[in-house]
Amino acid sequence: MLTCLSGGHVVDPVNGTDGVGDVYFEDGRVVARPDGRKPDVTHDVSGHVVMAGAIDIHSHIAGGSVNTARLLLPEAHRAHKARPAATPLSTAGWSTFQTGRLYAQMGYTTVIEPAVSPQHALHAHLELSDIPIIDKAFLTVLGNEPFVLGSFRDNESPNVVQDYIGATLEATRAIGIKCVNAGGVDAFKKNVRAFSLDDVVPEYGLTSREIFQRMQRAVHATGISHPLHLHMNNLGLPGNVETALATIDASQGLRLHLAHVQFYAYGKEGKNGFSSAAAQFAEKINSSPNVTVDVGQVMFADIVTISSDVMKQFNSLPGGRPKKGVILDAEGNGAGVVPYSYRISDFFNAVQWAAGLELFLLTNDPMRVFFTTDHPNGAPFTTYPEVFALLMSADKRAQWLSRLPADVVALTNLPAIKREYTIYEIATMTRAAPRKLYGFEDRGSLGAGSVADVAVYKTNEKDRAEMFRHAAYVFKDGELVVRNGDVARYTRGKTLHVKPEYNKTINKRLDSYYEDLYGLRRGMFRVEDEALPASQVFAEVPCRS
Amino acid sequence: MSKATLDGAPIAIEDAYQHAAKILGGAKFPVVAGLATDAAGARAAILLAERLRGAYDHLASDQIFNDLDVTRSFGMFITTPAEARARADVVLLVGPGLTEHWPALFERLALGEPARFNDAAPRKILWLGPKRNEAKVEGVEIETIAATPQALPGLLLAIRARVGGRPITLNGAAAKKIDAYAATLKAARFGAVVWSASAIDGLTVEALQGLVTDLNANTRFTGVPIGARGGASGVVQVGGWMTGFPPRTGFGRGYPEHDPWRFDARRLVDSGEADAALWISAHGGEAPAWTRDDVPLITLAPAGAGAARGLYIEVGRPGETHDAVELAQETSSFVLRRATAPSEAPSVAEVIHAISARFSEDVPC
Ligand SMILES: [Zn+2]
Repeated sequence: MLTCLSGGHVVDPVNGTDGVGDVYFEDGRVVARPDGRKPDVTHDVSGHVVMAGAIDIHSHIAGGSVNTARLLLPEAHRAHKARPAATPLSTAGWSTFQTGRLYAQMGYTTVIEPAVSPQHALHAHLELSDIPIIDKAFLTVLGNEPFVLGSFRDNESPNVVQDYIGATLEATRAIGIKCVNAGGVDAFKKNVRAFSLDDVVPEYGLTSREIFQRMQRAVHATGISHPLHLHMNNLGLPGNVETALATIDASQGLRLHLAHVQFYAYGKEGKNGFSSAAAQFAEKINSSPNVTVDVGQVMFADIVTISSDVMKQFNSLPGGRPKKGVILDAEGNGAGVVPYSYRISDFFNAVQWAAGLELFLLTNDPMRVFFTTDHPNGAPFTTYPEVFALLMSADKRAQWLSRLPADVVALTNLPAIKREYTIYEIATMTRAAPRKLYGFEDRGSLGAGSVADVAVYKTNEKDRAEMFRHAAYVFKDGELVVRNGDVARYTRGKTLHVKPEYNKTINKRLDSYYEDLYGLRRGMFRVEDEALPASQVFAEVPCRS
Repeated sequence: MSKATLDGAPIAIEDAYQHAAKILGGAKFPVVAGLATDAAGARAAILLAERLRGAYDHLASDQIFNDLDVTRSFGMFITTPAEARARADVVLLVGPGLTEHWPALFERLALGEPARFNDAAPRKILWLGPKRNEAKVEGVEIETIAATPQALPGLLLAIRARVGGRPITLNGAAAKKIDAYAATLKAARFGAVVWSASAIDGLTVEALQGLVTDLNANTRFTGVPIGARGGASGVVQVGGWMTGFPPRTGFGRGYPEHDPWRFDARRLVDSGEADAALWISAHGGEAPAWTRDDVPLITLAPAGAGAARGLYIEVGRPGETHDAVELAQETSSFVLRRATAPSEAPSVAEVIHAISARFSEDVPC
């Protein structure tokens, strides 16, 4: 069936398109305008913006830690509305089913969960397969386990960790590698309470710097498209911009992705010893073309922090809102879940909110700066439309600033920044840039051959949030899944993963490592087809050629 | 061939599915209870409860909430058995019957061997309130304090006080032992407390997690919970992602509501609020705890556990007669258990799908 979206404002930065035109698709793929054929269906989308489906590169939507958060906070996700027919559990607060529905309604069609430990890969896949409509994938977390630390300490050939990464990606069916507080999670098990770039992991004699650099090289060597996805040291601490700047300096000119950088954009100025250092940080990002970042914008809301940075999460417990939390020390990596509430009247929270926007507005390359709230750590993903509106309107920011504590306004550059994101820049950071970051060849663009994941928004210059909150149409693989902001039925998306070549002899060594250290068969953690619902469909993302 | 009976008399399986669909599809507020099954079975059962606007509960919910209520009120420090095995230099066992609830406990945590980190110093094993003779394990030296389950919270509070350097009311030999325990716990580099919420109550779980919290002020300490029977930990996880909630969740209003009192299956059936029950007990064939016997009942249980009353449909045993995904105690993660003795008996998920396929058209999907 040939479908035509006719007369919309087509915004497709991958192909440099920014103007009125038609988009055609057939059999789930975008096609060039066919000669001499009439479309079977034409949607008049004049007065609408047409983009590829959005891609969220970092959002905690599934897996053991997210589920721990759900169970920790029954009070936080009460539902209030019966679900419509044909979409079971679509109104169940914070369920996998609701997650797929809400993302689709905003025109998102691919979402990447950034923190799954290899031991919980099957759990994450089970959850992902219960997220309807959208395509999804996850990063698996490495870099604090005795195998890696031991190999680095013993100065083994870099091939060992490279092969280990290849074997882990294969066993877990992940799309990339994240490293969290490199060495710090292990150090915390030895009662180290603070850990910076040049601190040494006890028993291994390795600094965080050495660990992340070697991980960065090993990930690069595997040939996978996504670079090392790094959660740096000292998250959330005053003055931590120094850590971020030093990390970029240490990045060896190799590609490196820095996660939720808003949480590292802090100076120590002012009477509270806490200030925004976003301007300095943004300048560094601008001048470091090998580095990509996602922002992790804070919005004023009740949230829960979910992180594999166990040390940081432990240190956050006393400040929890409400004061409770789960701290999991697991094999190698772990997790901490601590609820929190960002308040506009809270000095620190207001600085965080401003710092995030400053980073968005003072960085100059939307191909390297990604749109995230680190859901749910900075804000729920449902606040994205509000964040888009803030990026696109200096007036809107001024309105919000007037509600902030005066001492905060004095400590940020935000009032002076007049930049307003264009629709084209929004499409770049949410479509074209993620395509490049993950090496997708089939999405993030409306070029012929791309999957027909298409989001159509009714143009609304007065209320950008409304525009992005309820897409007028969303097509997933060419099927109409959202109309006027509502999902009427479920489709099933795919799970994306990478499968780089690696030297398989590492598997024998890893088997005996598991047997020796944990007394377990490593195969127990492998994700097998028989363990997954028959409906789960995988698609391989190519490695760099 | 799968087997089914109606009030003890054999009926054809096709008739059994049809009959089950009629009972459940015609009920105003059915409860899906027991829920002792694998991940696929739990998923199918929860979707069924949602579709019928009923409720779901698990046969070990009381034990589940002994832990979960502490988690959601105060939080929890936990680790995996694998990490405890590798790293814990001090292990504090709390409560009786731990090896009944987890027979592989000593072997899995390698309690007779030193930990692998922290310079491989010998592991210190403490056991507060074991059963008589339970703490006699060959090759493992265990420092015990005898206590009844009722005395455990008080003892844990006393130990916690001594860890914090505060006075306690005990004296003599008892106080000496408490002091020795406190000293060992404080000297741990990475300690782990092991408990089963099937053997101790919520107050004790709260007390031991309070102790762990205090110990973490100066050293590292964490916990290894032993999950309840009937695949409870896995069912809690499946409920978590599907609805946001653990068992004792209802869908009467078309969306999930969690209430451990309201959606207690035993109460729902005994009070007559539930007008039909699907009882699932695929591991052991445990019987429901309710007393009322006039509510239409469908039982899914393995061979040999047939129900004399109501409709019975035989199901396989997860991981035994069919491959199953379950949350493994030894890894505290979901794993695939391959069938050890494959049979034709259908899984819980298969039976629920067969029943659901036979609902009349007025049951919405
Ligand atoms: Zn994150």
